[in-house]
Amino acid sequence: MSRPGAPRRSWRDDLALDLRAARARSYVRIVGSLREPAWIVTDAFLPAFGMCAYVLLYRALGAPASFEAVAVIGGILSTYWLNVLWGMGAQLYWEKQQGQLQLYFAAPCSRMAILTGMAVGGLLMTTLRTVVGIAVGFGVLGVRVPPFDVGLLLVVFAASMLALYALGMTLASVFLLYGREAWHTCNALQEPVYFMSGLYFPLRTLGAFGWIMAGIVPLGFGVDAMRQVVLGASTPGLLPVATEVAILFGLGAAFLVAAHFALDHLERLSKQEGRLTQRWQ
Amino acid sequence: MRAFAARLRTAAWLGWQIESNWTDPFLFVIYGLLRPLATAFIIVGMYWAVAGQATRPELFAAFYVANAFHVYVTNLVVGMGWLIVEEREDYETLKYVYTSPIGMFTYLAGRGSVKLALGTVSMLVTLVVGWFALGIRWDWAQVAWLPLAVSIALGIVACVYLGFLVAGAALLLPRVSITINEGLAVALYLLCGVIFPVDLLPHGLREVGLSLPFTYWYEALRRFLLGHGASAQLGSWSDGTLLAALALTTLVFVILSRWGYGAFERRARRLGRLDQGTLF
Repeated sequence: MSRPGAPRRSWRDDLALDLRAARARSYVRIVGSLREPAWIVTDAFLPAFGMCAYVLLYRALGAPASFEAVAVIGGILSTYWLNVLWGMGAQLYWEKQQGQLQLYFAAPCSRMAILTGMAVGGLLMTTLRTVVGIAVGFGVLGVRVPPFDVGLLLVVFAASMLALYALGMTLASVFLLYGREAWHTCNALQEPVYFMSGLYFPLRTLGAFGWIMAGIVPLGFGVDAMRQVVLGASTPGLLPVATEVAILFGLGAAFLVAAHFALDHLERLSKQEGRLTQRWQ
Repeated sequence: MRAFAARLRTAAWLGWQIESNWTDPFLFVIYGLLRPLATAFIIVGMYWAVAGQATRPELFAAFYVANAFHVYVTNLVVGMGWLIVEEREDYETLKYVYTSPIGMFTYLAGRGSVKLALGTVSMLVTLVVGWFALGIRWDWAQVAWLPLAVSIALGIVACVYLGFLVAGAALLLPRVSITINEGLAVALYLLCGVIFPVDLLPHGLREVGLSLPFTYWYEALRRFLLGHGASAQLGSWSDGTLLAALALTTLVFVILSRWGYGAFERRARRLGRLDQGTLF
């Protein structure tokens, strides 16, 4: 609401404010994460350790070499899911624990802009970290893939990240209501999602159950499409790549809308129940 | 001794309350079993994906069993680190525990016992699910019960003292760095050959793995439960040699961990970290 006599704000002013807010939030996310050595280690090397173990499992079983590439791709993408969970989903919970959440809600910009900045910053920061996974998988472990279409891979990657980070924005809204349950829920959604998404094995292995699980978390279709692009005919997917990309873009749009309405509704509910500033519960 | 038992019991009771009172019992069980079962199902999915093409499918049961027991390492390594952060920053009671008659080490032992119990439940459920739902079975007549019991006991001792070492390190670390303990659990997953023979590790990493008690623990569990291990190198060792290696590395590990915890605690006190909040 503008002051009496002050010029009216236009939608361009609001958009400019939201873009500045998103840029500011993504700046903090990128620069701040580079200042904490522990985060560099855990975000870059932790998923690589798990990836190495799964590659060596396939080697120990005497599996065809293409499955080692499946494990490497899964390990790289697991980094993004961890960022969506802990960097997006649990972020507002952390802010509540630090006593800063009310600042977010008192800020003049759109909260979706803040979440967008978190998503963009998290995506860029995580992509830097995946260099370690790529170096370990393809350099140290010696995994090889046939030539593939880089442009198509980038399109599939963009669609997957849109869906994933939009889901993260929705989770961030939902966790406004949570106390310690947020931390426990994020913990509980790590390995189960790896399994449900077929990060380390083709979901087709699980038959109809694999189809059901692919529909629950967008990571499943994203992983499946990226494997089809990178590994080609040696790894048949659930659906054609074009169909999976369309599904991912659709899920991304749906989650963005859900995040917008969830944020408003859950903010209102949290205020009514007095949970917006409740810490350590 | 009676006082020590009473203090241990009190700390364990408190630990159980903190672990469980955030939700109802049904959800608590679900949350507690989700991660260990999902980790098991991941390797099951990987095995099913290649079962028709794998050249050594008989090794899978060995990996599944070791993966089930790795939950002890995960629970204690991750749990003991976060325990210190919670006490220091969320509940702000660490300094009171430190100055109380119970003592930090007894308190940590009590709190750790709850994580040990939860790990035991997860391990048993994983093995039962493997037995009935996934066909991962062994011949009970071939199980070497006494060596198996000794192996389990030694391995759990090693896990508990690793938890103490991580708790000691957590006294010095700020909250933002405590995710290192998750990395440690995954690093041990790799270095100790949980789901692959340790022979496949490159030189350098293999030697690090062979210096840890957990490597021998997983191999002993496989051999005495299933009748065979996974490592060709360790497979050439006799049962006595394997148990002796497990016992010796566990003893060294316990001594180093106890000394390490004491050194970390003294340093944390000297630096004033026992009541220093780092939630920023």
